[in-house]
Amino acid sequence: MNFDLTETQQEASQRAHMFARTYLDGIAYDLDRCGVLPKATLDALAIHDFFGLLVPKASGGVGAGFINHILVIEAFSRSCPAIASILNNHALAVHAIAQWGSDAQKQHYLPSLATGRRLGALAIHEHGPSLGIGPDALLASCRDDGFTLTGTKAFVRNAGAADLYVAFATLEPVAKNPSLTAFLIDAHTPGLTIGPRLDTMGLKGCPVAHLIFETVAVSRDALLGIESGGSAIVDRLLSLGSVAEAAQSVGIGRAAVKHAADFAEKRVQFGQPIATLQAIQTLLAEAATDCHLAWLGIQRASQLVEDGGAFEVDAAMVKTFVGRFGAKMLIDAIQVEGGLGISESKPFGVDGTMPLARLFRDMAGTLLLDAPGDFPDTLIAKSITCTGKP
Amino acid sequence: MDLESPEQQAVRAAARKFVANNIIPRADEFDKSGEFHEYLLEAAKASKIFTMAIPTEYSGLGYDARTQALVLEEWGYGCAGMGTTLAASILSMEAVLIAGNDEQKRRYFAPMLNTEIGAFGLTEPDAGSDVGAGTTTAAREGDGYRINGAKCWITNGGVASVYVIFALTDVLKGTKGLSAFIVERDRSGFIIGDKEHKLGLRSSNTVYFELKDVHVPVVNLLGHEGDGMKIAMKTLDTARPAIAALAVGLAQRCLDECVEHLHRRFPHKPFPGQTLQFKLADMQIQVDAARQFVRHTMALRDAGMPFARESAISKTLCTDMAMTVSTQAVRLMGSYGYTSELGKFMRDAKVMQIYEGTNQIQRLVISRAVLAPTPKAVPLSSAGAS
Repeated sequence: MNFDLTETQQEASQRAHMFARTYLDGIAYDLDRCGVLPKATLDALAIHDFFGLLVPKASGGVGAGFINHILVIEAFSRSCPAIASILNNHALAVHAIAQWGSDAQKQHYLPSLATGRRLGALAIHEHGPSLGIGPDALLASCRDDGFTLTGTKAFVRNAGAADLYVAFATLEPVAKNPSLTAFLIDAHTPGLTIGPRLDTMGLKGCPVAHLIFETVAVSRDALLGIESGGSAIVDRLLSLGSVAEAAQSVGIGRAAVKHAADFAEKRVQFGQPIATLQAIQTLLAEAATDCHLAWLGIQRASQLVEDGGAFEVDAAMVKTFVGRFGAKMLIDAIQVEGGLGISESKPFGVDGTMPLARLFRDMAGTLLLDAPGDFPDTLIAKSITCTGKP
Repeated sequence: MDLESPEQQAVRAAARKFVANNIIPRADEFDKSGEFHEYLLEAAKASKIFTMAIPTEYSGLGYDARTQALVLEEWGYGCAGMGTTLAASILSMEAVLIAGNDEQKRRYFAPMLNTEIGAFGLTEPDAGSDVGAGTTTAAREGDGYRINGAKCWITNGGVASVYVIFALTDVLKGTKGLSAFIVERDRSGFIIGDKEHKLGLRSSNTVYFELKDVHVPVVNLLGHEGDGMKIAMKTLDTARPAIAALAVGLAQRCLDECVEHLHRRFPHKPFPGQTLQFKLADMQIQVDAARQFVRHTMALRDAGMPFARESAISKTLCTDMAMTVSTQAVRLMGSYGYTSELGKFMRDAKVMQIYEGTNQIQRLVISRAVLAPTPKAVPLSSAGAS
């Protein structure tokens, strides 16, 4: 068994950390305040090939593996989790096309997605209790030459900023257990409108909005994969997303622990740096432990993805683990810094920002902006029981 | 049996109505702007609720501790930031109630009767948890004292009209040289600095201020020189369960919002899956237990019994509980929690684990009580021997 990264992966990780320090540390504070992504940052991401990581070489991308992607997400999250979130959502859309797209679709979309000329996004969630059920579920009806889509996709990340959406709809007539169909929807398709940007607690640089489809007509070329084949795509994307979001949580957690530890070494109370107090050491040690164990699980799940094995249960366990400990890492890191930990007031610290309050909000965004909380439990239970009835 | 008297039930109902009309509709707006909720003081004038801790002989409402807790819980249900303004004003009054003489009480409470508010100035940049490291001094001069120093993280600091400020009258004696003073806002040399922008409790006013040669007369000294530390600790004992009551209200609100959301999102499914059901049950278990502990602490205080240990436990229990429950609630609501007003409760709860003495300091207090050399348990060998 080997837990070490390959030389290529190590280099990729170093490049990502270098990029984060050079380009992201400086913008994180302002991005959190104003929410407007600087063009220069997008350009820099493009020049350094981060948009094309998961695009195969044949389609003009880097053709890197999933582990490489995870390393980038973790590294970026230490500096600016909102950028990591944007990139991850783009990468999952890229993956969907690379995996299930026709040759024509790959040729048409992947080169521009690889260079960042196009930004991708996933549109999965709906307001109803489950996909295809609610009053405003996205429904697709067959026409002679294609499909007409009507309904709403909820809480879409990169909404408004993206040029291409991988959207999942339910074919009409809706069956008792509806299955999904994936579509590639250009942002400028007539009938598609982006709802108002939602006010989010954290990850403020990553826009979130609902997509409203009003009789959006698309040709059969827009179909990704086969009709009613979308559920398998969604399941895989959500599982990959669980691993990537866990990596994002670990990046945020590590940054917070580091910040709190640096603070504890400088802050003197009772005649000594508070880092010498056992109570403070315990807070830091537990958060560091949770980061470390989560990371081992993430590495393992990512390796399974690269090896082409079944990774869904591992992904669900990782999601459960960070769901349980992710918020606590930030709650405890802030506790170490006390009043200064909750301050959003003044630029402070090495990178000119006072990040724990922001990271607290970003962590909430990372853990929350996804499907409801109990599905990983169900999936894990299924894997260890015979009946496993959800 | 009804644990609340008819009078208390009436107080709770009135507080709930006030919160529903004046706090809940505007809490989000002031959380976003971070501005002080000036309007609320005007709205509270009619009920005189800001005087609820002032005894009736000084024309206040004179609520006992249990009744005050009911009001604070309701305010916490609406907005812990606004509730903090009320609790912090009472905190400053408690210092005067504990150590002030009759004349000082009349003088200090007079503006409060008109719904002006007070502030309590103890924390300094280098003296947070370590209260003894403060460097603000009060030098005896003629018929009074000259105060010099700086205070930070002072709740209501920019909006109060009267303050209780702690300063060293004898720097050589450390905490034994600490004294407490009434300081009126309009004294020259009292300089209010920048407002803090915080993660949570954002509409509550928190500032840094400086005292440069601020002169106060001798009659502004609370108790005697050197009484400061004792006064501060006793005052904080009364304040901690008040914060706990706010936290209980906050947590109950999170739970209610969560249930409301589930009913809205799954209208045809009154019972969600067991995973969710049990999480909701766990939340209610914690909220109910915490509420009872606050009531118990307040009952001890009303009965004139020692409650310092319970005070520290209630603050820790309830604010940690509020953090857990609010996090859980936002999580259960997923994307809806993250993009709704519910995130505010998580941010508010985080601040509550820190102010009025961090929960780490509370644990020091509690563990000292646990480890005190008094017999606690009957030794096993002699159990049942008699």
